[in-house]
Amino acid sequence: MNTTKINYKDIYYPPGGILMWILIFLELITFGIALIALVVSSKEDPDLFHQSRLQLDTTFGAINTVFLLVSGFFMATTVHQFKLNNLKRTSFYLKLAMLGGFLFLILKGVEYYFKIEQGYTLDYNTFYTFYWLLTGFHVIHVIVGLVILLFMQNGIKKSTAVIEDVEASATFWHMCDLIWLLLFPILYLIF
Amino acid sequence: MKKKDIYILGTLIALTTLTALFSNVYFDLENIVLIIMLLSGIKFLLVAFQFMELKKAHSFWKILLVSYLVIFNTMLLLVYS
Repeated sequence: MNTTKINYKDIYYPPGGILMWILIFLELITFGIALIALVVSSKEDPDLFHQSRLQLDTTFGAINTVFLLVSGFFMATTVHQFKLNNLKRTSFYLKLAMLGGFLFLILKGVEYYFKIEQGYTLDYNTFYTFYWLLTGFHVIHVIVGLVILLFMQNGIKKSTAVIEDVEASATFWHMCDLIWLLLFPILYLIF
Repeated sequence: MKKKDIYILGTLIALTTLTALFSNVYFDLENIVLIIMLLSGIKFLLVAFQFMELKKAHSFWKILLVSYLVIFNTMLLLVYS
């Protein structure tokens, strides 16, 4: 296991690595453009967007936000414990972080099930087209994040994990939080 | 487990609850969208700076992320209004 100190103040070495941060900005810009497009579309039929927004369950959205935030907290603790060379605790907090991700996916699945049952599918109206595409792409990110964390868990178990990998994986996981923190208020609250 | 992270998590959960409550109870308020996006922006920065440890990074990355948030929220509010 390598926990060598990295000079984060160097412009080329932000926590998580420069490539991960380039990816984060590309993702934020992509989701940002899609969200602006959603708001532009809402101008054509504000009533339809308001009624559609009211059909979404804010409580589901808020609980899912809390799941991701708590998971992000455990992920930050995982990195902290790894830097302290405490592998047992690192593994424990990593499992808690993954649990948060799984709970998010379960609740999202329940929400999707209700929406499909009620007939609010991708082609129901413009709002739901955006809803399914935006939340769907986000869910894919969460699934990819969980796969990365599973590999990280394996690396920690075998003591082959290095700090750069742990930080990069954690940064990807936090990116899922950041994207959701933009999606939640716009899809569930403002229309 | 860092104490500061626990406080930040508490703040994030409180802000999430507050945002959801505001949108349901005070939806008719004139500046509600501005308030919701402001609170969400604070959450965004808290996660980035504290949990992602961006506070330790070179100023370039900090300025870049804050600029993104300002540009995104400004555009959103301009289009929305």
